Amino acid sequence: MTSIPRRASRPVLAAAVISTFALTLGACGGGGGSGDSGGDGSVVIGYTGPLSGGGAAYGENVQTGLQMAVDDLNKDGLEVDGKKVTIELKSLDDKYAPSTAASNAQRLADQDKAPVVVSPNAGAIKAIQQINNGRSKFMISAYTSDPAIVQSDNPLTMMIPPNFESYAKPFTEQGMKNGGKKLALLGTQSEYGQQWTKAITDEWKKADGKIGADNSIDYATVSDFAGPVSKALSEKPDSIFVGGPSQPTALIMEEAKKQGFKGSFLVMDQAKLDEMATVTKPKNLTNSVGVLPVKEYDDPGTKGFLKKFAEVAGEKKVATSETALNYQSIAIIAKAMEVAGTTSDPEKIRAAVPDALSKVDDKYKVNGFPTKITDQGHLMNPDLEVTYLDKDEKYTKVPVEQVSDAK
Amino acid sequence: MTLFTQQLFNGVALGGVYCLAAIGLTLVFGVLRIPNLAHGSLYMLGAYVTYFFLTTVGVPYVAAIGIAALILFVLGVLLERLVFHPLRNSPHTHHMIAAIGAMFFFQAVAQAIWGADFRRMETPISGSVHILGAEISAQRIVIIVTAVVVLSLLTWFIKRSIHGQTIEAIEQDRTGAALVGINPAMVSMLTLGLSALLVTIAAGLVSPINLLSPTMGDSLNLKVFAIIILGGLGSLPGAIVGSFALAIAETMTSTYISSAVGEAVAFIVLVAVLAIKPTGLFAKAVQR
Amino acid sequence: MSALKNPRIIGTLAVLLIIALTPVAFGDENYIMRVITVGLCSAIAVYGMNIILGFTGQLSLAQGGFFGIGAYAVGLLTTDFDWSFWQAFLVGVVGTSAIGYLSGLIALRTKDEYFAIFTMAIGFIIYLTISRWEAVTHAHSGVNNVKFPEAGDIVDFSNPTAMFYLVFIILLICVYITYAIRRSSVGRTLLTIRTSEDLADAIGVNVGLSKQLAFAASAFFGGIGGGLYASVVGFIGPDAATVDKTFEFLMFILVGGMGTVAGPLVGTMIVTFLFELFQDFQAYRFIVLGPIIIALVIFAPRGIVGYLGGFIDKRARKRRIGSAHKDGAARSQGTAQAGGTATKDDSVRADKSANSDGSTRAGAAERRETTADTITTDDEEK
Repeated sequence: MTSIPRRASRPVLAAAVISTFALTLGACGGGGGSGDSGGDGSVVIGYTGPLSGGGAAYGENVQTGLQMAVDDLNKDGLEVDGKKVTIELKSLDDKYAPSTAASNAQRLADQDKAPVVVSPNAGAIKAIQQINNGRSKFMISAYTSDPAIVQSDNPLTMMIPPNFESYAKPFTEQGMKNGGKKLALLGTQSEYGQQWTKAITDEWKKADGKIGADNSIDYATVSDFAGPVSKALSEKPDSIFVGGPSQPTALIMEEAKKQGFKGSFLVMDQAKLDEMATVTKPKNLTNSVGVLPVKEYDDPGTKGFLKKFAEVAGEKKVATSETALNYQSIAIIAKAMEVAGTTSDPEKIRAAVPDALSKVDDKYKVNGFPTKITDQGHLMNPDLEVTYLDKDEKYTKVPVEQVSDAK
Repeated sequence: MTLFTQQLFNGVALGGVYCLAAIGLTLVFGVLRIPNLAHGSLYMLGAYVTYFFLTTVGVPYVAAIGIAALILFVLGVLLERLVFHPLRNSPHTHHMIAAIGAMFFFQAVAQAIWGADFRRMETPISGSVHILGAEISAQRIVIIVTAVVVLSLLTWFIKRSIHGQTIEAIEQDRTGAALVGINPAMVSMLTLGLSALLVTIAAGLVSPINLLSPTMGDSLNLKVFAIIILGGLGSLPGAIVGSFALAIAETMTSTYISSAVGEAVAFIVLVAVLAIKPTGLFAKAVQR
Repeated sequence: MSALKNPRIIGTLAVLLIIALTPVAFGDENYIMRVITVGLCSAIAVYGMNIILGFTGQLSLAQGGFFGIGAYAVGLLTTDFDWSFWQAFLVGVVGTSAIGYLSGLIALRTKDEYFAIFTMAIGFIIYLTISRWEAVTHAHSGVNNVKFPEAGDIVDFSNPTAMFYLVFIILLICVYITYAIRRSSVGRTLLTIRTSEDLADAIGVNVGLSKQLAFAASAFFGGIGGGLYASVVGFIGPDAATVDKTFEFLMFILVGGMGTVAGPLVGTMIVTFLFELFQDFQAYRFIVLGPIIIALVIFAPRGIVGYLGGFIDKRARKRRIGSAHKDGAARSQGTAQAGGTATKDDSVRADKSANSDGSTRAGAAERRETTADTITTDDEEK
C-alpha cells in the first residue's frame, strides 16, 4: 500500500541525506577559515540576543541601537593605530537561552575574532562570564541592570544601564506620596521581575508601608489579565507595582483602571511609559512613576538620535533606552579602541574605557551619558533621573540617588 | 464574596478562550489521531491575519474574522496535504516533529511579515456589564457566547450534515468508513481546515483582550493539550468540560493559593485525573 | 572478530572514531569543542529516549525534565552545598532515576497519546518547579559557577579537551549499554512490547515491570546527560529543563534513527551543526529549518542511520542471493526468510541470531513490525 510513495522518495531521500552531510561538513570546515577580520581594516562587534521567540522584540530593539551606532561610526570613519577601521556588527540569535548565548559568544570570539560581545540578558551574561576570561578573551558589553554581573568581578565586563536597585527608593517615595501606604505586587515572573519585586518589597517595608501577597504572574503566558488584576485589587491597595515588557504592562494598567483602581502605579524599568502609550490610551497610564522616556532626555545628541531612529525604524516606533543606551555604549567601545590603539586586545580596550568616556563625540550622548566607570566595570551617569507621569499626562523628573553595586 | 463572583466570571471567560482553542485540536486528534503541535501557531496566524484585515485593509471586525477564518481554512488544508498526509502511515513521533517544524516556520514567517513587536487589536466591542457586583467586559461576554454558539453549530454540523457525519464516521472507525465509500483523505483535509477555521475565530475574539506576538500561541498550546487529554481525546463534550474546569481551577487557585500554583494547576489536575482514570474523563473507545 | 564484518558495527565505530578525533583537529577551536561537548551531553539523554521510545515504543516527553533534574542536582549541590562534582553527579543520577521510576508508576498506567501528553505534563511540572521555586533553585537567576569534575592532579577538567573526553567516555559507556540491552533478552522483551503489548502479555512478558524499568533507564540517561551538561556549561538556568528541550531531543533521535545504536549520536551531531550553520540567518533561519525538519521526517522516516542500515541490508541481501547458489541450502533459507520480513517495510533484519539462539518469540515479534524503523542486526555469531 505504501510502497509507491516510498519508492518514489528514494532519490529525494538520498539527496536530502547527502546535502545534510555536506552542510554539516561545511559548517565544520567553514568554522576554521572565516576568522579573517583580525586587524586588517575591519573589526567585528558581536551580538547575541533573543532575535526569535518571546524576547525577540527586546532583542531587536537592542540590535537596532547597535546597528545605528555602527553605521554612524563607520560614516565618521574610525582610525585605530593609524589605520582606517570599519566596524561590522555580527548578530546571532540565542532565543534567550543562556547556554546558547554562551556558545554564540564563543563563536563570535573564536571565528569572527570579535573583541567585544554584546548581550542583553543577565542569565546569558553570567553564562558568558564563564568563558570570556580564560582560554578565550573578549569583553562583554552587558546590557542588564542586575548588579550580580559586576559582583562577580569579571575584569572584562562592562555594565551599561544603571543598577535597578537605585530605583527602589524614589519609586517607593513617589508611590507613597501619590498613592498610599498599601502596595500590591503584580510584576512579571521573570528573573528580573522577581528581583525587582524583592527590591521594592524591602524598600516599601523600610518606609513602613504595607504589602499584600505576591501576585506576580508570567506576563508572557497569561491569556487574560482580568483575573490576576481582580485579585490584586481585592487587597484594596493604594499603589500597585507592575512591569514586564511595555505592552502587556500597559494592558494590566488599563485593566486595573477599568476595574476601578484610582491609586498610583510603580512601573518597573523594563516597561517604558511612552512605548506603553502605543497600545493603550495615555490616560490609563497616569499617576505612575517609571523610568524617563528617551525623548525626555536632554543630552546633546538625543534630538539627532531620535530623528535617525525614526528614519531607521519608522515614525510609529518609540525609541527606548534599550536602543539608546546600546547606541552610546558602542560609541564608547569604538572610542576605547581608538584610545587603546588596538582592535584585537580586549584587555587594553577595557582599560581604555575610562579615558574614552570624556572623548566621545557629543552626538553619541543620547540617554544619560556616563561620566565614569567603576572599578567593577559599571558605567555611571551621575544625574540619573526617574519620572512621574501626572494626571495631566505630564512628565516630572525626579532625581535618583544611586546605590552601590556591592552585595 | 465579590472577589469570588468576579473571579468566577473571569474563570468562565477564560474557559471560553480555552474552549474555542481546544475544540479544533480535539477534532483533529479524533480524526487524524495526531497531536497537532502546530495548533498554537495556527492560532497565532489566525490572529495576525485578522489583524491584517481589520487594521491594514480596514474591513469591519466580524468580516475580518470571517475572511481570516477562510484563509486559515485553506492553510489548514494545505498543512494536511503537504505535511500530515505524507506521514499518514508513520508513528506519532513523526507528526509531532513535523508539526514542530511547521510551528518554527509559521512563527518565523509571522515575525518576518509583522515583526516581533507586540501589537494590539482594537475591537468595536467596548464597555462592560455589572453582574452581582462583578464587572465583566463586553468582549469577554462575546467570547463566552461565541464559544457556546460555535460549539452548538459544530455539534449540529457533525451530527446532521453529510460532511460532518463523515468526520464522525472516520473518528469511530477508519476502515469501516473507507469501506462505505468515505474518502479518509478528504475528511482529513476537511478536519484540519475546520480546526484552523475554528482556532481563527478564537484568535480573532481573544486577541483584543491580550496582545499579538509571534509566540502568542505557545503558552496556549500546552494548556490546550492538557484540556483535551483531560476531557478524553476526540471528545467534544470532554473538551468543553475540560476547558471550563481547568480555567476556573486556574483562576481560583491563582486567587486563593498563589499564581505559581495557578499556572501549574492545569497540569496537576491532568496528572491527578489520569492517575485515576488513564483515558480521560469522557474517553471514547480507543481504536487503532 | 566477525563483528568487524558487520557494516553497522563498522559504521558505528567509524562515527565514534571521527568524534573521538575532533579534539585533534579542533582542539584550539573553543567554539567547536563547546558545541560538540554540549552535543555529546544531549546525545546521552537522547540515548535514554532511545530506550523508552526506540526500543519500547513509548513516546515519553519528560526527557527534558529529567535532563533538567540531573543538571540542577549537580548545579545546586556543587555550588550551594559545596559538594564535589562526583558526589553531586552520583546523587543527581540516582535521584533522577528514582524520580523517573516513581513517575513511571503513574505515567505507565496511560497508553499511547495519553502517555505522551501525560509525560509532557510531568516534564512541564518539573520545569515549572525549577523556574518557580526560587528559594531552592534560584528560579530564573540560575546557578552560576558549577564545578568541574575533580581528578586530583591527574587531569584538569577545566580544559575543554579533557572535559570532552570525559563526556565522550561516558557516552561510549552509554552506547555500549544501549548495544548490550539491544542484544540481551531484556532488549528483545522491550521490542516485543513495542510490537504489541497484548502479544507480549500473552507470551508471559511482565509488560508493566519492563516498561517501568525502561522508563527509569531513560530517566537515568537523562540525569547523566544533564549532570555533565551543568558542568560543561558552568551556568544553568531553567531553559535546561524546558519542554522545548524534549522536542529537541526528539528531533535528534528522529533524524538519527529511532531504535538504532548509532542514531542518537549521529542525529544529535547533525541537527546541532545544522542549527549552528543557519545561525547566520538569525531569526529567519527557521523559515528554512522548519521545512528541512519536515522534509527529513517525511523523506527519511527511519532517520539517517536507519536509512543507511536499510541500504546495507539491501546490499547484503543481494549479495547473499547472488552467492546462495553456491552456498548451499542453509544459507539460502536464511535469505529467503530475510526476504520475507521485508514485505511490510524495507527495513530487513536478517534474523539469523533470532533463529540460532532460539528466541523465536522476539524473532516472531520483530517480523510483525509495522512501524518503519530499523534495529541494528545482531548479525554476528558469538
